[in-house]
Amino acid sequence: MLSYIIRRILILPLILLGVTFLIFCLFSLLSPMERLATYINDPSVLKNPQSAQRLIDKYHLDEPFPTGYVHWLKSLLRFDFGWSPTANQPVWDAIMQRLPATMELVLYSIIPVILVGIWLGVISAVHHNDMLDQFIRVTAIIGWSLPTFIFGLLILFIFYGILGWLPPGRLSTWAQYIVYAEEGFKNYTYFITIDSLLNGRIDIFWDALKHLIGPIITLSYISWAYLLRITRSSMLETLRKDYIRTARSKGVDEKTVIHQHARKNAMIPVVTVAGMMIIRMLGGVVITETVFTYPGLGFWAASSAQQLDYGSIIGFALLFAFLMVVGNLIVDVSYALIDPRVRLE
Amino acid sequence: MVNDNKTKILQVKDLKTYFFTENGIVKAVDGVDFEIYQGETLGLVGESGCGKSVTAFSIVKLLDYPGKTVGGQVFFRGEDLLKKTEKKMRQIRGKEISLIFQEPMTSLNPVFTIGFQITEALTVHYKISKSKAQEKAVQLLEKVGIPIPEQRINEYPHQLSGGMRQRAMIAMALACDPTLLIADEPTTSLDVTIQAQILELMKTLLKEFNSSLIMITHDLGVIAEIADRIAVMYAGKIVEYTDTRSIFYNPLHPYTYGLLTSIPRLDLDIEKLDSIPGLVPDPLHFPEGCKFHPRCPFATAKCRKEEPVLKEVENKHMVRCWHFEKVKEEAKKIAFTGRLAVSE
Amino acid sequence: MNRIIKKLLSNTTSLIGLILLFVFVIIAIFAPIIAPPLFSDPYQIPRMSWDTEPQPPGFPISDDMIFVYESMGEPITRDKAIFGTAQGGYDIFYGLIWGTRTAFRIGIVTVVFSMLIGVILGSIAAYFGGWLDELLMRITDIFLSIPFLVAAMVLTTILGRGLDKVMIALVFFGWMGYARVIRGSILCAKEDVYVMAARALGVKDYSIIVRHLLPNTIFPVMVQASMNIGSMVITAAALSFLGVGAPLGYADWGQMVSFARNWIIGSPGNAGEYWYAVFFPGIFIVLFVLSWNLVGDTLRDIMDPRLRGEL
Repeated sequence: MLSYIIRRILILPLILLGVTFLIFCLFSLLSPMERLATYINDPSVLKNPQSAQRLIDKYHLDEPFPTGYVHWLKSLLRFDFGWSPTANQPVWDAIMQRLPATMELVLYSIIPVILVGIWLGVISAVHHNDMLDQFIRVTAIIGWSLPTFIFGLLILFIFYGILGWLPPGRLSTWAQYIVYAEEGFKNYTYFITIDSLLNGRIDIFWDALKHLIGPIITLSYISWAYLLRITRSSMLETLRKDYIRTARSKGVDEKTVIHQHARKNAMIPVVTVAGMMIIRMLGGVVITETVFTYPGLGFWAASSAQQLDYGSIIGFALLFAFLMVVGNLIVDVSYALIDPRVRLE
Repeated sequence: MVNDNKTKILQVKDLKTYFFTENGIVKAVDGVDFEIYQGETLGLVGESGCGKSVTAFSIVKLLDYPGKTVGGQVFFRGEDLLKKTEKKMRQIRGKEISLIFQEPMTSLNPVFTIGFQITEALTVHYKISKSKAQEKAVQLLEKVGIPIPEQRINEYPHQLSGGMRQRAMIAMALACDPTLLIADEPTTSLDVTIQAQILELMKTLLKEFNSSLIMITHDLGVIAEIADRIAVMYAGKIVEYTDTRSIFYNPLHPYTYGLLTSIPRLDLDIEKLDSIPGLVPDPLHFPEGCKFHPRCPFATAKCRKEEPVLKEVENKHMVRCWHFEKVKEEAKKIAFTGRLAVSE
Repeated sequence: MNRIIKKLLSNTTSLIGLILLFVFVIIAIFAPIIAPPLFSDPYQIPRMSWDTEPQPPGFPISDDMIFVYESMGEPITRDKAIFGTAQGGYDIFYGLIWGTRTAFRIGIVTVVFSMLIGVILGSIAAYFGGWLDELLMRITDIFLSIPFLVAAMVLTTILGRGLDKVMIALVFFGWMGYARVIRGSILCAKEDVYVMAARALGVKDYSIIVRHLLPNTIFPVMVQASMNIGSMVITAAALSFLGVGAPLGYADWGQMVSFARNWIIGSPGNAGEYWYAVFFPGIFIVLFVLSWNLVGDTLRDIMDPRLRGEL
């Protein structure tokens, strides 16, 4: 197994390099002038042909493909992703500033995925409950057919439009003032839920949480609906296996049979699927944050795409590709760790 | 041979287990009686689907849905197991009655070590420390003939060969020194040479632990090696029940006769290999009268209408057939000796 | 094949799916009759008024608009907005009817082309093996590393707005699933005796792949394709919703939903005021995707017993 892990780790930079190459190919479809726009923060520069040409040379924008790629790659490694007109700051800074908000959302969304998707899945397999089975089938089919943006709009409509409980955005105005403008508030993690507790402000904690619930439900829905089904069928299949019968024939009590003997085996494929679904949630943040006007990376990516802010959208894509590749590696490695048959090859 | 001085361990009386499927009721076990004495091995023989495994699972109440035991009694040490609560059954399973299954690869949990699965058999029934349980597990592995048991303890099932896995399963079954072992086709999935080794091992261990064994198989060669008495099953019922020697030298049921004649023989000059014509009957639509009559060369009109009862027709030899004398005649023509070594 | 059709018709879920699909097909075919176009480009949604606010179902066409059409010399075929109007006065009903054609076009075209690419690459990789297989699989991994929606966003931003650009983006990043599936099937089938026999007879590689291997391995790919039609339409709709897909006023379901984005919350005191702006487009999208999923789900169930050998 060690060789397997090493091989995967070695391939990782190759894949990342390939991704940068792919994106550079797409980027090169634009003219040098258009590409120049991603590096300057003052559009009036473009109007002056001489200064424009000087800058084009500086950034190696009209050189042949291979050298252009190398220069571009070098700037990436310097964390120079260009300038974002939509954020009015360098792309990298824009990413760093918005990353905590998105991470806070994604990490919290993992909770319902595991709780409902896995935990409920195990329970539903063990207790044959017709109503629960129907619920699972219906949510699975709906989940697969209901696009995230419609589901999100529905949630917004019901829980904010009608009930007024879950407002869009990240914080109410009064809370924003305290967190960003007031002096006493210290930002330790930039996760508002954690920071507010560390600062002793329960009111801000609740406010932040209220704003998060709608996006969390929307982001996690497809993942847990799918996972619920997978867990249930994996558990059912495991319970039919011969070694379960053996355990019972030894006199092991049913609870241990289910939670030790069966679940450990059933979880093996489930964990990999769960990992993949969580990674896929990364793609879902774009829509979710847009629907709820949640000021994270996804919202910014959507507005930059709309306003043809090439640099930002490319920076965003690179970041997410990186996260996905690393995430996939973690999932593959943990699969190898969990299953002794793979571990001891 | 049956020894009347020994204690009766198990008495199965008129056991009936039915499967309530969507397509109808399958009478997998339909009135089965037998008994087992201490230290004795009973062979349960028959083709697949005749109900032998279901009988075994019914005894320990390990039936899968939609199976249900609907009638009969199973007296183990004088108490009817069918009347016991699940909690009490769990105390018996693995401790007093142990099972050995056919496929050791799928019957062992792939994510637990061999050591854990054996020690579990001990810790479930005894208040014993982990280290003591480990010690005992190593001893058991040694007893079943697994080399370097201290190392094997920490290995996983997929790291062992087929024969070793089965030995490990036997060790697991013997952990609590059970009174009765039930082995469901334990050698069927193994190579022939390994088969012989496992059978030898089982015979040795049975003698040492003085346990009884119900050996379920379709292989007459295996049964000849190890069983004291044999019950031949067909379509959910026992059709012949006597000691091993009589089965081979003096078969009385057409089905038994058919099984014996379909074994290839090196010592006789037989040109064509006989097989029992026809197929095992569809459990949803058993034939009228004697269940075997469609495939029976001795069948008459009576067989088509009336089902025979299991009767003791010779000394301690029971058979379920109207025409067992005809079978006796035929069997005399061919001497069933030689290849099948039956120990006295 | 007939057996498959029979099975699809007998299963309730797939039957519902097929009926729904049939309804959509009818709508798409008869669009010019159900909603007669006003402009030379039938995909340009006519407006009912100049209002920014969406108007409820039954809203009559405004006088300004009547004047506009009369001066253009166009007859007025509809004087009420049956489903209401979206932001900017666009007729929702019209948008949804013609949007059905758009949806079919997007779904089928993208799936066919991405399937083509995926099957070609995947079968080459599986059949020839070795370094070619490694290379193609690494390339597949690279393409898979970027989340689908994000990748499509990058490409549509660079290429510009327009439905054809959207379809290019979807195909460019949508072939990987098919490649993997066909590769898996062919890797198994490659060892079969009939392949070795064909090779021994000297049949050319290309012929073996196309005439012998593909017909036997293509079915799982078809199942995946039928389920992907729905997700392609969803992704295209998502892109339009985000404002990077279809151009303004184009009859596309996603665009209709994006028109409703700012109005979903309603006005103070009347929360559900603009429900129709989201409800009608939403229903169309959901039912369309649902119908493909129901059919695809049943196709997948049909596939399983075949794998087990019960034919």
